[in-house]
Amino acid sequence: MKKKILIVGGGTAGTMTANNLAKKLMPEIDRDELEITLISNSKYHYYKPGAMYVAFGKSEGYEFVRDQRALLMSEINFEVEEATEISTNGNFVKTKKGKKFDYDFLVLATGCEVAPERIPGLSEAGDWFYTYEGATKLAKKFHDIKKGRVLVTVNFPKTPNIPHQCGIAPVETTMMLHDFLTERGVRDDIEIIYTYPTVAQSVTNGLFMQEPTSNVLPSIFDSLGVKHQSGFTLSKVDAKKKVAISAEGEEIEFDILMSTPPFTATKFIRESGISQALDDEGWLPTDKETLKVKGLDNVYTLGDTVDLPVSKAGGTVHNQTDVVADNIASELRHGYTSESYDGLVIAIAQMGLSCGMPLWYNYDKDVAPTPCSKLGSFVRKGFNKGIYWAAARGMV
Amino acid sequence: MSEKVEVLKTKEMQELEAKMTMLIQTGRIDNLIDLMALISDNIEMTTSPMVEKMIHTVDNLASAGFITDNAVRYAKRETAKNEVPSLFGILKLMGDEDTRKGLSFMLNLTKGIGKQL
Ligand SMILES: Cc1cc2nc3c(=O)[nH]c(=O)nc-3n(C[C@H](O)[C@H](O)[C@H](O)COP(=O)(O)OP(=O)(O)OC[C@H]3O[C@@H](n4cnc5c(N)ncnc54)[C@H](O)[C@@H]3O)c2cc1C
Repeated sequence: MKKKILIVGGGTAGTMTANNLAKKLMPEIDRDELEITLISNSKYHYYKPGAMYVAFGKSEGYEFVRDQRALLMSEINFEVEEATEISTNGNFVKTKKGKKFDYDFLVLATGCEVAPERIPGLSEAGDWFYTYEGATKLAKKFHDIKKGRVLVTVNFPKTPNIPHQCGIAPVETTMMLHDFLTERGVRDDIEIIYTYPTVAQSVTNGLFMQEPTSNVLPSIFDSLGVKHQSGFTLSKVDAKKKVAISAEGEEIEFDILMSTPPFTATKFIRESGISQALDDEGWLPTDKETLKVKGLDNVYTLGDTVDLPVSKAGGTVHNQTDVVADNIASELRHGYTSESYDGLVIAIAQMGLSCGMPLWYNYDKDVAPTPCSKLGSFVRKGFNKGIYWAAARGMV
Repeated sequence: MSEKVEVLKTKEMQELEAKMTMLIQTGRIDNLIDLMALISDNIEMTTSPMVEKMIHTVDNLASAGFITDNAVRYAKRETAKNEVPSLFGILKLMGDEDTRKGLSFMLNLTKGIGKQL
């Protein structure tokens, strides 16, 4: 009987994994013993970090969108279907249109989504760059503001030791904002305040979710004239008065509130009954080494939907995808897994509009801050505008 | 009266000095400095638009490679699976939507090349 691998989610994780699996399992595909199917609720594939550049008027956005089909090897079946239900006993996934997809191996890669409604007033008064729509709105505000205050706030999941999407993004965008306002000639009249919650993954009262970076940030922000404050856990926003209120009891007025809102796993995963994360956040219980969903022997997960303590970033997915593909291939061929994920994350942070900082870490080692450089920024921009698509196709 | 000044060197500085001494003694340091200057000049002279255009070209090549690679693998598999089609078989193949899509692409590609000749 033909074996079936089903991948749900056509983002960074689903696309890379589908292509890597097709490459690894080509002999089985050639012998007509295996079928790989990817379903996604969108015909399009979005390179999400691109939204950051849209927020500062440095990109239009269309450069970061492609047809999902064009990114998949021709051996992969692709269907635009929204998964709504999963039966881990019956080994199938059901979709909104009523279709049923059976599987021998399942990969859950539906990412995460912003949930600003979890903080009263934030949806009305806040802005974020984590969606293209939000980034476009923010770009207009950043373009128009002449004087006043931009307040940056960051929110972490309630489930302990789990980061928000792309850990370094709030730092990156604060520095990009400084450069952007300087370019516009209005920086002197606009105050930027970067705040961080009291509890941020494993760090308490810091400015970043890892200690070494948290320690160097004050001097970096000081040199840019960016005010910074820890211990500000956003709990409410008075949209009329434009005041952000923290759980610690402090109030800060703002003209623009650039926020990293709460994130949750997608609705499909939250309603799947598999997660036990706090506050119905939906993170999938993931074996940190095999990347299997705990308790389910033929279900894997990776990317933003996992409950691992590593950054929810493309630079994480790039390392996880090979582990998932190797393990599924090995299970199909030999009946056991062969690879283990060590928590490796590799990325280049955009520290300002023209400085790139390479960073890497794993389960055991925190990020060691490195100097940012013009060359690093070129590599980052090159990745955004081209190399990403080759990576998604499993070419690099 | 002159005083001898002793500079305390860290372990790292001592190691660096030993390595550098070797480079100087073997005459290689000049080449390295040249190379560093060349790389540094290139970084200074490169602009973001230049990088974007370069990457766009790389992306086009990668996309073309990906499409060709997929198409060749598919064609090889199909050819191996089926017998060489008769003339009628070829006509039947032309009835298939994907074949017609590919064919019209090839014809437009030919036209695109023609436009440049
Ligand atoms: C502004 C911003 C900046 C970032 N910066 C960086 C950075 O600098 N470096 C870095 O490495 N990472 C960065 N990231 C993070 C990176 O984009 C994500 O970590 C990555 O996209 C996660 O991949 P994923 O496949 O898990 O999720 P996604 O890429 O979000 O893909 C999820 C997919 O699932 C589909 N889907 C959802 N629900 C369903 C359903 N029910 N049925 C079917 N399909 C469904 C969606 O359509 C989507 O295709 C950034 C993200 C943002 C938003």
